[in-house]
Amino acid sequence: MRSLPLPGVAVFAAIAVLPFLTGSSYLHHVMVLWLLFALLALSLNVIIGYLGELSFGHAAFFGLGAYASAVLTLQTGAPVWLGLVFAGVLAGMAGFAIGYVSLRIVGPQFAILTLGFGSIIYTVTNYWVDLTRGPMGITNIPPLTLPIVGPLTEARGYFGVVLACVALFAYACHALMTSRTGRAFLAVRENAPLAASLGIDVFRTKLLGFVTATVVAGVAGGLYAHYLRVITPELMSLHYMAALIIMVVVGGRGTIIGPILGAAIYVVLLEVLRAFGPARLIVFAALLTLSVIFLPNGLVSLWPRLMAARDRRQARLVSPADAETSP
Amino acid sequence: MSVAPLLQADHLTRTFGGLVAVSDVTLEVRDQEILGLIGPNGAGKTTMFNMLAGSMPPTSGHIRFDGADVTALPAHARARLGISRTFQITSVFPALSTIENLRAAAWRTQSTGWWQAVLHTPAWRAEEEALDARLRDVLAFCELDAQAQVKADSLSYGEQRRLEVAIALAAQPRLLLLDEPAAGLNPEEGQRLVAMIRRVRERGVTVLLVEHHMRVVMGVCDRIVVLDHGARIAEGTPQEVANHPDVIRVYLGREVAHA
Repeated sequence: MRSLPLPGVAVFAAIAVLPFLTGSSYLHHVMVLWLLFALLALSLNVIIGYLGELSFGHAAFFGLGAYASAVLTLQTGAPVWLGLVFAGVLAGMAGFAIGYVSLRIVGPQFAILTLGFGSIIYTVTNYWVDLTRGPMGITNIPPLTLPIVGPLTEARGYFGVVLACVALFAYACHALMTSRTGRAFLAVRENAPLAASLGIDVFRTKLLGFVTATVVAGVAGGLYAHYLRVITPELMSLHYMAALIIMVVVGGRGTIIGPILGAAIYVVLLEVLRAFGPARLIVFAALLTLSVIFLPNGLVSLWPRLMAARDRRQARLVSPADAETSP
Repeated sequence: MSVAPLLQADHLTRTFGGLVAVSDVTLEVRDQEILGLIGPNGAGKTTMFNMLAGSMPPTSGHIRFDGADVTALPAHARARLGISRTFQITSVFPALSTIENLRAAAWRTQSTGWWQAVLHTPAWRAEEEALDARLRDVLAFCELDAQAQVKADSLSYGEQRRLEVAIALAAQPRLLLLDEPAAGLNPEEGQRLVAMIRRVRERGVTVLLVEHHMRVVMGVCDRIVVLDHGARIAEGTPQEVANHPDVIRVYLGREVAHA
């Protein structure tokens, strides 16, 4: 009854076929970026969509993961998989510390606190030159190595790995909503005093969601670092924070397909509008504004509306006379 | 008579700055009874209710539930022991459907978590099936079966008030605290609610009812405690309370004279 969601499986099967439709390594690269952002947007969606809080600090956890994995593997020669684990653990620990301090506060104040913590992490990364090489960034990061396959050199290989991560996390989010834990998330989002009156510890529930989101963001950052093999502190800048929020809100918060769709739109627009340079940001800002005004629940909310409109049209076509005479 | 009470409030006092909202009130709720807590506006009913529910700490005094001191426990910890409450202003999960409201509300009664749901463990599946069956029963009990898939904020006011009781029941409480459940309901809806409260007790749930509507309290309660200006002025059966001179003086005067 509540086993694997068939539409979800179909969507991921369709995505998995994409890289085989083209030989262009440029398009493969765009696809990997899309999935990396999709993973990140899905994790931010846990905070925005399920917990109902706005976080401006999410790009910092992404960057933290990227730096954690890059520095560990470069300086100690540790295998990349260990770097990815370390990325998740370190981002999760930072998420725990920051969440522990900020999650007692809700609403706009919480959003501003996350902005502050995000800026601190960004600034430290930028100026701790001994460890991070500052604005120069880190280069020559080792590629991801898989058993049997060996080091991944092609975008297509990364596509498979990141797609697996996105699919796993998307499924985890789906399962979350059928569990007591996920229902506690929604209860806290919808009505915190009522949730507490039912035995739900509001603070711990929020902390759990926040730490989960930051762990996944950290792993996504690690994957990003080993894929591009070059990282700079710009990963944590305001630009990325805004981009992530756009993906979640424009796509549709609180859904699984929404952030994935939002990430696709963002990456495609980023590439299509490359010629416009910084003017692209105006387009993104306009997109966010329009979405908030006309589609507060994101692009995914268009689907039920379209279905309803189609049903109405069909009903009219089938029996115009009945429709008029029926009481 | 000598059975230990389910909930015992010992000399509760609550002050706000210089104002004494509740002053040295002692009351007990016995197992399986319906106790009414009444009083005119400003009598301290809501303050008393909030202290019992755990959303406001008392300035002094103690609260015991089922023999254990719960005075220092926050609201969610008391809820875990089996105390459910409703709110004076309608309080539901607005964006969720009626059945989703109840699934979220049943949190306390479930034990499998996220990982069991991810792995579809047999324990998770069994628990979900049992929950579905139990919630269908709660829906029927609160006459909300037809609204199961309707979003809570699309329900009528009367339906929302019934949903609140359904939410509280979904948590399988031992003690249900109702804060003016009939507020804003028309007489017909009020009667429906009274009938529901009576049936709640038949399920073995103890009820503490804070109410302003005299008719609701008189009709349904086994015992009544009357507050005035933060102090307890009377306690007894509805008959005794209605004939108590102090109660008539401060509160019931007109209604009793006309009855």
